[in-house]
Amino acid sequence: MLRIACPWCGERDEAEFRYRGDASVQRPAADAGLDAFFASVFERDNPKGWHREWWQHAQGCRRFIKVVRHTVTHEIAAIGKPEDDPAVPE
Amino acid sequence: MRHFSLRTLLTEAANAHQGWARQWRAPEPKPAYDAIIVGGGGHGLSTAWHLATTHGITDVAVLERGVIGLGNVGRNTTLVRSNYFLPENHRFYEASLKLWERFEQDVNFNAMVSQRGTLNLFHSDAQRDFFARRANMMRLEGADNEFLDKAAVKRLVPMIDADNGRYPVLGGFLQRRGGTVRHDAVAWGYARAASARGVDIVQYCEVTGVRREGSRVAGVDTTRGTIRARKVVFAVAGHSSRLAAMAGFRLPLETHVLQAFVTEGVKPMLDVVMTYGGGHFYVSQSDKGGLVFGGAIDGHNTYAQRGHLPVVEEVLSAGATLIPSVKRLRVLRQWGGVMDMTMDGSPIVSATPVEDLYINGGWCYGGFKAIPAGGMITAHLVATGRPHPVGAHFGLDRFRAGRTLDERGAGPYPWAH
Amino acid sequence: MSGFRLPAGGRIDRARVLPFDFDGRRYQGFAGDTLASALLANGVRLVGRSFKYHRPRGVLSLANHDVNAMVTDGISPNLRADGLPLCAGMRLLAVNTFGSLHSDRARVIDKLARFLPVGFYYKTFFRPKWTFPHWERLIRRISGLGQLNFQAARPVSAKRYDFADVLVIGAGPAGLAAAVCAGRAGARVILVDENAQAGGSLTYARPAGEAAATAAELLAALAAQANVEVRTATFAAGYYADHWVPLVDAGNITKVRAKAVVVATGVFEQPAVFRNNDLPGVMLASAAQRLIHRYAVQPMREAVVLTANEEGYAAALDLLDAGVRIQAVIDLTRTGEKCPAALEVAQRGVRILLEHCIVEAHAAGDGSGVKAVSVAPWNGSGMAAGARETIACDGVAMSVGFAPATALLHQAGAHMRYEELPGQFVPVQLPEGVFAAGRVNGVYDLADRMRDGERAAWLALAHIGLGTHVPAEAARARRAVSHPFPFVEHARGKNFIDFDEDLQLADFYNAAQEGFDNIELLKRYTTVGMGPSQGKHSNMNAVRILAHILKQPIDSVGTTTARPFFHPVPLGHLAGRGFHPVRRTALHARHQQLDAVFMEAGMWLRPEYYARSGKSKAELVREEAKAVRTGAGLIDVGTLGKIELSGADAGELLERVYTGRFRNMKPGTTRYGIMLDEAGVVIDDGVIGRLAEHKFYFTTTTTGSATVYRELQRLITMWGLRAGIVNLTGACAAINLAGPSARTILAQLADFDVGENAFPYLALREGTIAGMPARLMRVGFVGELGFEIHMPSEHAPALWDLLMRAGASHGIRPFGVEAQRLLRLEKGHIIIGQDTDGLTTPFEAALEWAVKMDKPFFVGQRSLQVLHKQPLRQKLAGFMLERDFNATPPKECHLVIRDGQIAGRVTSIGWSEALGRHFGLVFLAPDLAKEGMRFLIRVDGGAMVEAQVVSTPFYDPQGLRQKALDPAPAAMQAVSA
Repeated sequence: MLRIACPWCGERDEAEFRYRGDASVQRPAADAGLDAFFASVFERDNPKGWHREWWQHAQGCRRFIKVVRHTVTHEIAAIGKPEDDPAVPE
Repeated sequence: MRHFSLRTLLTEAANAHQGWARQWRAPEPKPAYDAIIVGGGGHGLSTAWHLATTHGITDVAVLERGVIGLGNVGRNTTLVRSNYFLPENHRFYEASLKLWERFEQDVNFNAMVSQRGTLNLFHSDAQRDFFARRANMMRLEGADNEFLDKAAVKRLVPMIDADNGRYPVLGGFLQRRGGTVRHDAVAWGYARAASARGVDIVQYCEVTGVRREGSRVAGVDTTRGTIRARKVVFAVAGHSSRLAAMAGFRLPLETHVLQAFVTEGVKPMLDVVMTYGGGHFYVSQSDKGGLVFGGAIDGHNTYAQRGHLPVVEEVLSAGATLIPSVKRLRVLRQWGGVMDMTMDGSPIVSATPVEDLYINGGWCYGGFKAIPAGGMITAHLVATGRPHPVGAHFGLDRFRAGRTLDERGAGPYPWAH
Repeated sequence: MSGFRLPAGGRIDRARVLPFDFDGRRYQGFAGDTLASALLANGVRLVGRSFKYHRPRGVLSLANHDVNAMVTDGISPNLRADGLPLCAGMRLLAVNTFGSLHSDRARVIDKLARFLPVGFYYKTFFRPKWTFPHWERLIRRISGLGQLNFQAARPVSAKRYDFADVLVIGAGPAGLAAAVCAGRAGARVILVDENAQAGGSLTYARPAGEAAATAAELLAALAAQANVEVRTATFAAGYYADHWVPLVDAGNITKVRAKAVVVATGVFEQPAVFRNNDLPGVMLASAAQRLIHRYAVQPMREAVVLTANEEGYAAALDLLDAGVRIQAVIDLTRTGEKCPAALEVAQRGVRILLEHCIVEAHAAGDGSGVKAVSVAPWNGSGMAAGARETIACDGVAMSVGFAPATALLHQAGAHMRYEELPGQFVPVQLPEGVFAAGRVNGVYDLADRMRDGERAAWLALAHIGLGTHVPAEAARARRAVSHPFPFVEHARGKNFIDFDEDLQLADFYNAAQEGFDNIELLKRYTTVGMGPSQGKHSNMNAVRILAHILKQPIDSVGTTTARPFFHPVPLGHLAGRGFHPVRRTALHARHQQLDAVFMEAGMWLRPEYYARSGKSKAELVREEAKAVRTGAGLIDVGTLGKIELSGADAGELLERVYTGRFRNMKPGTTRYGIMLDEAGVVIDDGVIGRLAEHKFYFTTTTTGSATVYRELQRLITMWGLRAGIVNLTGACAAINLAGPSARTILAQLADFDVGENAFPYLALREGTIAGMPARLMRVGFVGELGFEIHMPSEHAPALWDLLMRAGASHGIRPFGVEAQRLLRLEKGHIIIGQDTDGLTTPFEAALEWAVKMDKPFFVGQRSLQVLHKQPLRQKLAGFMLERDFNATPPKECHLVIRDGQIAGRVTSIGWSEALGRHFGLVFLAPDLAKEGMRFLIRVDGGAMVEAQVVSTPFYDPQGLRQKALDPAPAAMQAVSA
């Protein structure tokens, strides 16, 4: 089980968090057209490697955080607040 | 192909078993094929067999980066059933169950299709209604099912504690034709039969790129060179997104790990496959005697074929609530398979944005039981260019068209299905 | 006690004699014995039957993973005799025998072996198809090990959690040294070992001079260190990410989070493979040594020692010292060992046959075990050559090699490489914070192993910032410890590789010949390593055989994946007590007093109806509903999700997540809203109240509350809105007071004006009731004048009592979920999840009126724009049965059938007193969903029931009653069909 360092609460067990999806998805502009809309709702890069994703500290501060995690090794490279843009390793 | 039967077994016993040959050939890849199937798992091999038998297309290669059958076809809980909720899904899985029923005769390989029955327990009115809806639809379509009251459930599975669990058992929904299949044998059976029909099963051949000519696919680059093909199928559930990326498009899915566990063997104690409605777990007893448990996905996307411990604990906690005596068993092994979890929880068997490139994937929890019909509809799609009637709903275009098949009503969140 | 117990020595307490029963016979052992050692002390060699052929089996390894000796006490099915501490009065039976251990009827299978080659079950039993179930029943009955007892008491096992700076796994010489070293540096250390006593090989290997003294000092040092905790009889079940290791003992699982892990798990000795190598009496040399040193049991009287390394000669000396006559030492190697032990064996006059092998072992006539072996020169790689000689013996000790216990290292992600010397896999790249030491690391000499433990400890200390010492590299053994190919072929087979699964050498050749020539395929086809010991004594040999067949180096053959668990874990330990919370509302005790019959609603318990003696559920539900229609009723709606939302963008958030318009709501008013997902599916509904310009209070469905709350939090974050939400679901109770008399009753208690002008339909008011703070909403869910009263949970019981008292003269009655379902159905109000499903759009659910498509944005709007252009798939409509219908009515989920095809389904149905007939909601094909259309519902048993589409609401279609516009309570305004 992973340890995830919540920016507000510190390092906690994964059990306190819930995965909430790909954080690189941007909602398209209102006039962006249906293709962009469906791409953002349904399509995912789903990388084998580094993945920027939302987690919620559901059993802690309940805030959403951005986590850069490797989808094979589960290594966590960076963690940020929602407004942050944590770097994805090369 | 050496025919398998009791007679050959006895003949070989007299011959110290020296006469058995390779079950599938190990050919060098040719420079070009009519069709290439990427992925030597259940669906890839089933597709190859259906192409060769139903459609007479035998100039086919199945490319597998390692050896066949080590993906999800060898990492599941071996269950087959057709008691799905949405009519589109039910019809497809019923077609698959019918193919399971003749699997051995079709491919001359015993996959031990064991129609011991699948029993879904329900614990609330809402769950009963959910199953009633399935049941009424299935009856109309001629598929078997029975509603059992609590007493009948107790007769069928006497070891359960129907009264004292967190969610007392109200009754059960039984599909007698459901059951289990020896999973590895499915890959080997299709491989052997397809190989005998001329399909090249090329192991240790990893696809590294997709060749295109204009808008259509032209072949694949592999670790054993470029192989040209008129048509290409991706059948690599768990890794579909990576292959799609090579071909230049994205898919509506994420990759997640689903775990299963098996206990040490004990003498027969559970004769059906049983699903608990009060939590995530289902269980059957293998022919070797081990109880095989499955549960829910770990909850975050991953390509590691290995899960975390908390899911094991959660599943077994639910299991022990329902069958307290299993606490005395010992859990032998934990394993995981990585699966395509789609945005609506239903599979994708479809044409793609690249002409003549097809995809079979997105199987979520249902991939194993879908293997025969999954191969059938994929082969149909490849051979005719048109979707097979029982798989017509599984196209990629459904997401744009607003015709998603969301069995559980969980919304466009792959981890929620 | 019979003659195999040595007169002195061992770690047993000879003062405590323990009687026990095995296989129906009475024996005695000592405290400190395991079942296996006690049986051997009594001269019992036959301890179990094999899995497939039911061959007689004796103790093989005595290293806690020996599945030859699996027993049951009638409660636990598969106990290992070598790990089972002896207790007085134990009554044990071997598992998986038919009849008795001595005359197992299934032993006939052994004679049929030639008809049961590897994978035989894939090749037959399927023609004709109907035969398979019979074969399967037979197969199932024969396989399986022990029998599970359903009646036995169920253990309850608590889970524990612990933390360590350094977790050391394995308390052999390397692990001890590591623990002492890390402990001295001040680290909190947990040292864990699966054996009953720490020491590892120190407790059974032949003592080796000075190093042995050092080891004794380590044990003493350990005892003196308070920051080192030693846990024996405990095994590490697996390695999980970020150094999370579950430790399992007899009673519990302890999940340890460590900062660094030292894996000093040692090795498993591996059997040599020759015909009948599974006969009782044939055992690993280390097993013989364990018997001698730990339990003071003479393993055999007349031994043949088969060896390929110096460990074998040390074992031979131990046997000699234990009074065993060694008939011969058979050395697989050409040159023999030049070590001191080998020289001493020769000096003591033991016959040594170099470059020889055991071709086969011969069974005693009674089948109880080995009586002789045939030996012959061999070619060093699989084939015996030259003249055979038969040597009488009652035991064989095998020492041909070891396999490192690398399971945890593999799970941690270590990369391994095969080294010809010492002849095993060694780690070449370890993940951060994981270190290997001792024999698992390829280090064999005792002093080197202890140094290697220290080395690993220093690396671990450096990793956690407690040390800077840079130790020297590990001194891996540069001698041949493990023989590359200790297999002897035999035309008649029965040369076993995997004792768990009864796999013989030929099975591997056959499998490879059929194309299963990859280690994973080979494993799956033969099932090698899939038995209860998970290949601890077979996987390495399987790899060696495959390398031999493929003529490839072992490294390129690789290994199979070592999945958790290292050793089988009691399911009850993993399950724990189970944590499945039940939620009860603040009024639960009141419902109990009123004899409520409860039902599950998600995690909640809700009153379905209130029981009264002599009355049926149907009658009571009807009475409860009638009370609401004619006087007043009270229902606990505290399970609704209750959310407070505030902030400058609060209105904006609602505007985006609900389909209706909320920006223009006036404070003090409420509005019904529905929520969609991005696919346009209806996922929740509720009543939204505006308390102030920037403050809202709203409800969600019972089952949707957690999801909605979480999703709103997510959206606030995503969109960067200035809004905060608080989930008051648990903190607030809610009671719906409904019925024509509701206002009169409430007016007696409220400290504010609840009159129609002051508090009209759909208004929201805050005030106090009998001094208690409350928020009230004028709602009409059940179709009568109604007040939904929300208040802090602690006040709810008091308010309930006051309302009941104030309403007594108006015939007030508490009503349950069933009556509420009926009442709302009369109003045609849908329940999300019952009248909708995971695909239902608002167009289908006849909720267009709640969707403002002209808003700039709401979640699901884009999907609806697409769906809007497509033909509707189905439409929700009201229906009624004929007034004179008196057969069994349809139920929820019964299907509407037209021309043999599904054309819809019933979502809700009830019997309305007001209408005098059955009525409900139904999904229908759009062309059927028109008022006046008739359709057929297929009920249980296949009968068809005719129904007719009618408009909704069924009751009071103008909604006059909930708006309190019609003062006449008796006037029923039902539509007529």
